[in-house]
Amino acid sequence: MNKTTLKAVLVLIALAVLLAVPKYVESPYALHMMILLFLSVTMGQSWNILGGYAGQHSVGHAAYFGVGAYTTMMLMHAKQIAPWYGVWIGIALVVVVALAIGSICFRLRGPYFVLASIAVAEILRLSAINLTTLTNGAEGILATELPAFKIGETVVTDFSTKVPFYYIGLFLIVLTIAITYLVQHSKLGYFFQAIREDQDAAHSLGISISLYKNIALVISAVLTSLAGSFYGIYVGFVDPPTVLGLDVSVQIMLICIIGGMGTLWGPMLGSLVLVPLSEALRSNMITEALVKVGMVNAESKVGIFLKENLSHAHVLLYGILVVLVILFMPDGLMGFVKKLALRRKREAI
Amino acid sequence: MAVLLQSLISGILIGGVYALIGIGLTLIFGVMRIINFAHGDILMVGMYLTYIIFTWLHIDPFVSVLITFPLMFLFGGVLQKVFINRVLNALAQNQILLTIGLGLIMSNTVMLIFTSDYKILTTSYSSASIQVGGGVSVSTPLLISFLITAAITAALYWFLLKTDTGQAIRATAQDRDAAQLMGINVKRMSIIAFGLGAALAGTAGALISPTYYIFPQVGGIFTLKAFVITVLGGMGSVVGATLGGVLIGITESMSAVYISSGWKDVVVFVLFLLVLLFKPSGLMGKSRT
Repeated sequence: MNKTTLKAVLVLIALAVLLAVPKYVESPYALHMMILLFLSVTMGQSWNILGGYAGQHSVGHAAYFGVGAYTTMMLMHAKQIAPWYGVWIGIALVVVVALAIGSICFRLRGPYFVLASIAVAEILRLSAINLTTLTNGAEGILATELPAFKIGETVVTDFSTKVPFYYIGLFLIVLTIAITYLVQHSKLGYFFQAIREDQDAAHSLGISISLYKNIALVISAVLTSLAGSFYGIYVGFVDPPTVLGLDVSVQIMLICIIGGMGTLWGPMLGSLVLVPLSEALRSNMITEALVKVGMVNAESKVGIFLKENLSHAHVLLYGILVVLVILFMPDGLMGFVKKLALRRKREAI
Repeated sequence: MAVLLQSLISGILIGGVYALIGIGLTLIFGVMRIINFAHGDILMVGMYLTYIIFTWLHIDPFVSVLITFPLMFLFGGVLQKVFINRVLNALAQNQILLTIGLGLIMSNTVMLIFTSDYKILTTSYSSASIQVGGGVSVSTPLLISFLITAAITAALYWFLLKTDTGQAIRATAQDRDAAQLMGINVKRMSIIAFGLGAALAGTAGALISPTYYIFPQVGGIFTLKAFVITVLGGMGSVVGATLGGVLIGITESMSAVYISSGWKDVVVFVLFLLVLLFKPSGLMGKSRT
């Protein structure tokens, strides 16, 4: 069996296992963790197309995430439009927003592009706070009641368990990974990478810089907005800081940076590190573990302090991880793994 | 007419503080070509420092600037030496990410210690104001902070123009390699520049603490404003940052009066995008590719 067929078989086996998970795993918490993992991979992979392959490091992806989440939620809340129709309106809106942002930001390079992308996301966040009649302002939109999904007269699912969300999440990562794979192995992907490596050289070879940057942006933005819509209907609540804040943009980037930018496996590795870590902090698992091992007394001042505060510390963890990765593994985990493999090969020779 | 004059004056007064923030960022960029995304968070650290000194030692925020300035200078120097120095030759996005990460660490550490509650530093003159005549009044704390910023800015100009270290910093900003060849210790200049940048941001934080809510996430909006100011004035230009700060102050206070206070930041960001599009080199910047 050659390498490609082996890879294909492994991917199919992984997919079959993931498809079967809800049949055997009943714990809603385990499914919740898997859904968060799927969401994280989708977000990372979408950013990867623009940031990793085309080399345009947007720090404003919260804009697309937020527009997707808000559009779906607003339509469902105010107009009772089911999210599976709302999603398409969200996508249409995001394409418009992305092209507008692209036409402004892609004239700029390097740090100026980063600044402009942040500014655009901030304008959207402030607008969501101020346009109270549309978005309900800083209070956000709460809409937990999902209509049942029907085909004809048969009810496919009424969203009363986490299983349908699990399959939507699974569908999203298969979609984004497939698109990334296709991009990576097509002319489009080579154009993106040429722009990333040397914009002027790519331009002199006849690659239309602004056209391909905008294509990368639109693909990336549409997938990010899908993730946003999914987040909205899964959590049932959106407000300006949680879907449009700078933290969201940083988190999306971080998935790729930790895993490795411009690689297919990077966002998956990054999510596997980030999601369990931040969940462990959020649910106070770390404090409980420390208490169990006997390192901290639960009744002592330190114990109470940790219990009360460590659950908010996941953003602190993001900060520490970014600093460590940039200083010690600037190419992310994938880069680190590749380096190790290369060293082994050399030693073998 | 009184309203126009009133908002113009408040704009200029707050613009002085913005100028300090902008000058700090532009100095760091000039010397190291690094955009400091932790600038607002450094300002936030300055605010909390002032708050601690005020509640524990009962020292007036405007007096405690004398303590905050050197402490923040040290803080910035250490940050440069331990973190920033390692990425001076790294890719631009890695530099940006490192400073974003440092900012996240600062704001969230402060949140762990002080919780995310809003703190208010109330002095006897916090809501006092002076009548100027013609129905125009000036807020006392803003006026004092403006006078202090003016003094600091003047001292900074003197430092950069007249002292040897100041000239060495400007030389490093102009051409790092040439400066090194002329025997300037560029590493030390980088530490001083970052220290100064942090001290200026921290001082700005101290000066606004009597009139502003103090909370861990306050930095984000100031980081963005600092960029707007420096890009408007021209990246790396100290004069530009001073002008930019005052201009942004006026824009903000005008749009708060004539549009609405909720939209004033949006107006500033739209202005920012327009500058990036039509005059990316800024008011005082030389055009660079």
